[in-house]
Amino acid sequence: MADTESDLLRSSLDLLVLKALSWGPMHGYTISEWIESATESLLLLEEGTLYPALHRLERRGWVTAEWGVSDNNRKAKFYKLSTAGRARFRSQAPVWHKHANAIAAALQRTSADFA
Amino acid sequence: MSLAPGWRRAFRLPFTRPRTIEREVDEELAFHLAMREEKLRRQGMTPDAARSAAVSRFGDATAVRDECITIDRQHAREARTMEWIESVWSDFRYAFRTLRRMPVFTLVATLTLALGIGATSAMFTLVDGILLRPLPYPGADRIVRLIQSYPEKGLDTWGITQENIAMYRDRATDFEAFSGYQPGNASLIRDGRAERLAVARVTADFFRVIGVSPAHGRAFTRDEDRKGNNDVVVLSDQLWQSRFGGRADLIGSTIDLDGRPTRVVGVMPRGFGFPRTETRAWLPLGLDPSRRFGWTNSGLARLEPGVTVEHARRQTTAIMWDWARRNADLLGVGSIQPERTHMATIVTPLQEAITGRAVRPLLVLSVAVGLILLIAIANVATLLSSRAAVRQREIGLRAALGATGARVARQLLTESVALALLGAAAGIGLAFGAVRLFTRSGLVALPRLNEVHVDGRVLAVTLAVSVTSGMLFGLLPALHGLRARLSADLSAGTRESAHRSVRRLSNALVVVQLSLSVVLLIAAGLMLESVRRLTMVDLGFRPEGVTSISLSLPSQYGSPTTVDPLFATVLEQVRGTPGVKSAALAWGLPFEGQANFDGYVIEGRPTPPSGNEGQTYQVAVSPGYFATLGVPLLYGRDITAADDTTGVRVALVDESIAKRFWRGTDALGKRIRVTGDTTWATIIGVVGAIHDDDATRLPAPHMYSSLAQLGANQVSLAVRAPGAAGGTMRAVRSAIARIEPAIPLDGDRTLTSVVGDSFATKRLMEILLASFAAIAVLLAGVGIYGVMSLSVANRRREFGVRLAIGADPRALVRLVLREGAVVAVVGVSLGVVGAFVATRWMASLLYDVSPTDPLMFTALSITLGAIAVGSCYLPARRAAKSDPLEALRAD
Repeated sequence: MADTESDLLRSSLDLLVLKALSWGPMHGYTISEWIESATESLLLLEEGTLYPALHRLERRGWVTAEWGVSDNNRKAKFYKLSTAGRARFRSQAPVWHKHANAIAAALQRTSADFA
Repeated sequence: MSLAPGWRRAFRLPFTRPRTIEREVDEELAFHLAMREEKLRRQGMTPDAARSAAVSRFGDATAVRDECITIDRQHAREARTMEWIESVWSDFRYAFRTLRRMPVFTLVATLTLALGIGATSAMFTLVDGILLRPLPYPGADRIVRLIQSYPEKGLDTWGITQENIAMYRDRATDFEAFSGYQPGNASLIRDGRAERLAVARVTADFFRVIGVSPAHGRAFTRDEDRKGNNDVVVLSDQLWQSRFGGRADLIGSTIDLDGRPTRVVGVMPRGFGFPRTETRAWLPLGLDPSRRFGWTNSGLARLEPGVTVEHARRQTTAIMWDWARRNADLLGVGSIQPERTHMATIVTPLQEAITGRAVRPLLVLSVAVGLILLIAIANVATLLSSRAAVRQREIGLRAALGATGARVARQLLTESVALALLGAAAGIGLAFGAVRLFTRSGLVALPRLNEVHVDGRVLAVTLAVSVTSGMLFGLLPALHGLRARLSADLSAGTRESAHRSVRRLSNALVVVQLSLSVVLLIAAGLMLESVRRLTMVDLGFRPEGVTSISLSLPSQYGSPTTVDPLFATVLEQVRGTPGVKSAALAWGLPFEGQANFDGYVIEGRPTPPSGNEGQTYQVAVSPGYFATLGVPLLYGRDITAADDTTGVRVALVDESIAKRFWRGTDALGKRIRVTGDTTWATIIGVVGAIHDDDATRLPAPHMYSSLAQLGANQVSLAVRAPGAAGGTMRAVRSAIARIEPAIPLDGDRTLTSVVGDSFATKRLMEILLASFAAIAVLLAGVGIYGVMSLSVANRRREFGVRLAIGADPRALVRLVLREGAVVAVVGVSLGVVGAFVATRWMASLLYDVSPTDPLMFTALSITLGAIAVGSCYLPARRAAKSDPLEALRAD
């Protein structure tokens, strides 16, 4: 857990993947489309980085993967949130909010005092 | 975006092979690129532009691919491991459930294995603690013991003098440090009461050699190790704690040792005990390099790093030869060429010097224990394979449900390993008890016993032994399970043939058990016979009813004028004690190992060259010694009170000397002296020869001198008091305490026990081997009984039919017995061959019995054969009682 928390970008990507999958099973491409539209293309600069994240989540047991057939009738690998993944999302989302708020508040401070 | 309605599962367990992993990653990434490209094209890009835009938006595809593959491989590996652990765990759970369903079988098998595994771990604990572990001194592998040897003079092992100690110390460059030591006793006197302590007298370099310094205070210096300036002592922790309450101010203060004020300079660390565990103090030897006599010390040295023992042996032998050339007079010859003799030093690694005598007994016992373990394994294998026959249906069912042969075999193996672990758990308990009994009971005389204990190493070995055993005895039934799977058709006919193959396997296992039992039985028999013959050896004296107390006189008794009256009073008082038949004083009671051993010369006979004269024990005795010990006086007279320093020097010799030079009474009046003495002694009597030190060897020559003429202040009092000696000895002790309370009286020992101690190791071997043999025979008997019972049960139908068509029941008994007899004969014959090879190896432990003693071999193999056939009798009777109707009903 420490490694994901230490890497802000990676942990936020993981969290976004879990969020995307909370809508239902998706393959990688759909996930990347969703993240791009949800973050206004700010986070996923290189689409390829999504895949190691997906495989890592799979290894952790937070998502499961199965091969299926896509809309346009192609073979595609679909990811699905596992029970453990759902729990992980529920526990990590508030943490992320807290961190983000704390950092935002800190950046808005206008004085050097610390009372 | 929603899912296609028809998406389906393509694989149940992904990534089982590296190939699959790579292909799937490639497909997944390709899909993404294709989708992106398609979308861009739909947005109006040309195909070429769409493709390159998709690729550039994706980033470093190779790096992504590699990373995904790495993650997936790790994932697959973890999944496989988890799956394996889970399946093993479920196998174990299943195995324990199965075992719980057959409690009697499980109990019998567990007990059998507990015996085998427990005995093995106990034995390993001993071997490990005594032989394998280094001694508890830093760099212990570089510490050696040095003694000398001069076989031409009958001195196979020869101590070193103080002159020798200084010589090796100063001249041998192979040693980092060299010291001399001599175990002995000292009297600690506190509040007027004396207590005997086991001490060691050592030279100052001892502490450097052994590599252990006092925990408190300091060691003594070379300056404190000079004759006349050596009244200092280093105490053991045990003595310091138990007698002086561990007081720090004791160091620097003075205690009374042997009547001399002695300053305590240090206390050794807890547990330090050299040369013996019970050594309580280390005193300076008081090294006097001019002292040429007294070959009573041993050398202890630390080798320079990298120097071999052999090199040190050659170097010190050269030094010894040089010394011999200059000291021919001391060796009783005019001149000597040592290189023409076998004169040499004996340099032995300390560990070997301490444990050398324990090696052979421990190895023989280890082999015996190994055989017990094998028998136990064979026994449980027999039990399991008979279970396997019963369980064929279950196995067949599992096979029919799709379990592979390997899977069934693994399950069966797991079951036997589970069984072995149960056995190991019980066996460890057994081993704990056995090791405790060994190390605490005081019955066993083995070196380093205080260092022996059950620990993690032992537990690890036990675990390894039990898992291996489980594999071993599980293997045969497991292979059987494989075969059973192939005959999934479980009709009666195939079961018959399966029964037959199980029987063949069981018979083979019984043969193994029987043959190993024969080996153990014969080994035990030979040992038993050795000890029996040893106890029947005529020692030349009668130790029964004789008790000895050692008396070391305080230092004020330094001259005959004080010693003689004391001895006279002691003898008078002791002889007057009710219950005492006779009493005498002596220096050098048999089996006490204190007598002087020296060459002797007869007056008027030519002196043999180069120390080839005969060797004799020289014992100093008071009047009444021979009557007290029960040594027959053959000719002449006993020593009397008149044979003191004022009279002519007298001696008695034993038959072995007398017969060598004279006939009958001719010895009387002749004169004899030991080479270390210049005064001739007139022979006044001839007594019977006695065994000394070792009943297994021929009686050694003895020469007896008058105690009053020779003088000694360390003697033993021998008291013959038939019947209940306890009360008498208490009275004797209080009588001595009244005469001189400063004489320490720690304990008295019966001469019988002293003699018995000399073959304690043989006795221990006898007891252990006999127990092992009993266990082996019991296991083998149970084994053959079980196999025959099973065989009879399986052939109930055949027997029933035979009876129905008029067979004689007695013929059926004979049939079964004959089958058992064949197995017994094969097993016993193999065992006899095995014993023939194995027992030669223990020849050095036997006494007066050939390791291939024909009587022992015949008698014991017939006995075991009879036991084996006898074990078949009950099953045979059962065969004869088979009910024809029941047989027809079956199936």
